[in-house]
Amino acid sequence: MSSPIQQAQSAPATSAPALAPERPVVWPRRTVRTLANGLQVVLAESRAFPKITAQLYFRGGNAAVALKNPGLAEMTSAVVRTGTTSRTSRQIEEDLRRIGAGLGAHAGADSSSISAAGLAEFSGELLELIADLARNATFPQEEFEREQRQRYEELKIERTTPGFLAGERLRRVLFGPHPYAIVAPTLEQVEAYTRDQLVEFYKRYYVPTDSLLIVVGDFSAAAMMEQVEKIFGGWSAPKPEGQKSTEPPRASGRRVYLVDRPGTVQTQVLAGNVAVTRRDPDWFRAVLANSIYGGAFHSRLVMNIREQKGYTYSPRSSLNALREYGYFSVSAAVRNEVAAATLTEIFYEMDRMRSLPVSADELESARNYLTGVFSLGVATQDGLVGQLSIVYLDRLPEDYLESYRQRISALSAEDVLAAARRHFDSANAQIVMVGDRAQIGEQAALFGAVTAYDAQGKEIR
Amino acid sequence: MTKLSKHLHIPVEHTTLSNGLRVVASPDRSAPFVTVGVYYQIGFRLEPRGRSGFAHLFEHMMFQGSENAGKMEHIRLINSSGGLLNGTTNYDLTNYFEAVPSNALERVLWLEADRMRALKVDDENLRNQRDVVKEEVRVNVMNQPYGGFPWLDLPPVAFRNWPNAHNFYGDFADLDAATLGDVRHFFRTYYAPNNAVLVMLGDLDPAEAFKLAKRHFEKIPAAPPPPRADTSEPPQESERHGEVSETLGPLPAIAIGYTMPSRESPDWYAAGIVERVMHGGRAGRVFRKLVLEEQIAVDADGSADLLDTNGPTQMVSRIFHKPEFTSEGAVAIYDEIIDEMQRKGIPSDELEPVKVKFRSDFYSMLEGGMGSYMPRFGLMHYLACFTLFDGDPDRVNTVLDGFLNVTPGQAQAFAQKYLVPKNRAVLFRRPPAQRTPGAPLVGGAR
Repeated sequence: MSSPIQQAQSAPATSAPALAPERPVVWPRRTVRTLANGLQVVLAESRAFPKITAQLYFRGGNAAVALKNPGLAEMTSAVVRTGTTSRTSRQIEEDLRRIGAGLGAHAGADSSSISAAGLAEFSGELLELIADLARNATFPQEEFEREQRQRYEELKIERTTPGFLAGERLRRVLFGPHPYAIVAPTLEQVEAYTRDQLVEFYKRYYVPTDSLLIVVGDFSAAAMMEQVEKIFGGWSAPKPEGQKSTEPPRASGRRVYLVDRPGTVQTQVLAGNVAVTRRDPDWFRAVLANSIYGGAFHSRLVMNIREQKGYTYSPRSSLNALREYGYFSVSAAVRNEVAAATLTEIFYEMDRMRSLPVSADELESARNYLTGVFSLGVATQDGLVGQLSIVYLDRLPEDYLESYRQRISALSAEDVLAAARRHFDSANAQIVMVGDRAQIGEQAALFGAVTAYDAQGKEIR
Repeated sequence: MTKLSKHLHIPVEHTTLSNGLRVVASPDRSAPFVTVGVYYQIGFRLEPRGRSGFAHLFEHMMFQGSENAGKMEHIRLINSSGGLLNGTTNYDLTNYFEAVPSNALERVLWLEADRMRALKVDDENLRNQRDVVKEEVRVNVMNQPYGGFPWLDLPPVAFRNWPNAHNFYGDFADLDAATLGDVRHFFRTYYAPNNAVLVMLGDLDPAEAFKLAKRHFEKIPAAPPPPRADTSEPPQESERHGEVSETLGPLPAIAIGYTMPSRESPDWYAAGIVERVMHGGRAGRVFRKLVLEEQIAVDADGSADLLDTNGPTQMVSRIFHKPEFTSEGAVAIYDEIIDEMQRKGIPSDELEPVKVKFRSDFYSMLEGGMGSYMPRFGLMHYLACFTLFDGDPDRVNTVLDGFLNVTPGQAQAFAQKYLVPKNRAVLFRRPPAQRTPGAPLVGGAR
């Protein structure tokens, strides 16, 4: 033991002060209405700053077209902001700046969205701009070509990024024939996009029916609802057809997928298995188990491979919920010599979660952590929009926010054990390693049959 | 002067304890959480020579335990109170911060006071965190495309004085050379209450919060004021150039840095506005010209750390361009933007919208500023910076006026005086193999 480096003598309190009585969390009141055109509108007042944050979601994302045109939803969202029937690309950007707003248009696996945040005093103009992009985008050919080339170059950069390569490979492995398997296009697929494909996607999915508008900010909900009605009420379009889904494969036994990047100084490790969605009755149990395993700074995995062994800076496990399926994953970027040792510890901690109940202290800590952090997460407009989008996009129970804390607090060590056994599928985990095959190939082979790929996703021998 | 920032008033109260610790409180009782930060006026600029990266390594050591809260206890106590914590090392400051439900306020203060009073670390902790920091450097710099671009690349080109010009993340040899003796010395020199500010905001009563601060911090003795490194730069005579090779990413990248006027000088406000005319996304002149109009670049943006630095700092433009163009050619087009601004100034129908966006971005920073997970990080950060560097946390309520009152004349004068070759550094980050010039990959030529 070392002696403390004292600033000098003084007599401090030697143990942590007890927590004061908790102040109740007041959940933001929501106003929810579905307009005649099928657009669901969710409003929440958040008045600490004179700002407004709005996000319009469509229930069609990259997965809807992944088997035919990977990444087409993302490409569509990139071009959506470059022109409408009444505004040029430059006007859109200047209008945004004039009202102090920033705009984002993106597509994930399950949805596409247009979001904007700016000053509350310009809320009408901000919503009108979102509506204009959603209804009247013109996809100018030259803007499309420029954005296409940009996407091409961005993709080249992504394919040199270890985290991207690992995530891409794991999704392929876990989801097989399901569209969730494909997170990004190839360079050739980007080159093959046409403007017409974007327009078709836009016409089909950028419609009010079944879509969701969330507005959070410094406004009164009643007046805002009126404004929203006025701006979005007259919009109508047919509802897109539903998709038929394929089941992801059932993994049997560990396998290793090595993405070879000669000469790199670090190995990105990522392992995982198909798990649950937020609608699954097991969701909260799995969330708590994940938090104890590797989902928080004080978790077992961080203690082990960072704070005791110094293998890595940023170990992390997470439960990733997509709309139809979810998956559990654990990642760490480690020096090459300890790639196998890291996997050994990853599985050791997983198996420990599956073998023994967590201690009462650990359970209590993790429950407090999750419930506290959940309340912090809705304390910014951005965070609140994010939480609300989870509730309404996934069609979770209306009291999801309000009941989250109670549901987590009611869980026991047995719940955690059961969730770990069911959802941390250590024996059948699929393992991705991104690194220099010459340095880590032998270590990889310790964990199962190895298939190797290059950074473009081509299998190599 | 017009008072344009009347829209938002942040309540600010502050006091100084007898040991010199400055304490700032800002109540907002709308939600039951508090954000707490302890800021020390020591950043990587001031770390000792031969110990590059030490300020950051030391920041890691502050999580390794103190007299009454051993290794991992800080983290466990904050997390199990329902809160988040982190720390960052900057040019002129190092901060440690927590966001927690408000019933944990005193616990947070106790923990922060314990490590300010008596850090307790050993050789094993030091070895462990040295390994962790090396992996941090590998994951963020050595194994990332454009890792460290341009925050690690540009200073050695732009500056001549070691405090401004060295490797802030640290050479591995210097990290290896760090000893527990260095840790002790650094702690005693810089981590005294009179070199720090404590910020508490959110669901609290300022009088009550000051009482708690006094209870936990006031007995920590002051230390002699730490030496201030001389961060002044010798006058620059001509444009500076540097080149770094990019080993992973496929595109050539360029960083162009102009050294900014000193903090709170009249030109400093003009700098803040002109920087947003240049950058700030797709409406910015740099993006418009290089990405949209000339289509040389794939991405182009930039920034300047004006509010949270207190020494030589640069406005930096970052450009990633298509491989069929030369970096020199891209800079020539960039220079047209500068030239036009110097000759014609910035019309008020461009300047006024930039100011609206500036105000909006300032509020967003106050509200979040570190992603949505750490509410009010920006408010805490600015309150601390205005206290440490300007001695007045209430600047958070007035600083906007200085920026919003910049006139077209001042903006043009700034551009003419500061955006000149002998005030800038240009850095090329080049991939080893660039494609043949003139061969488009997609687009019109297909």
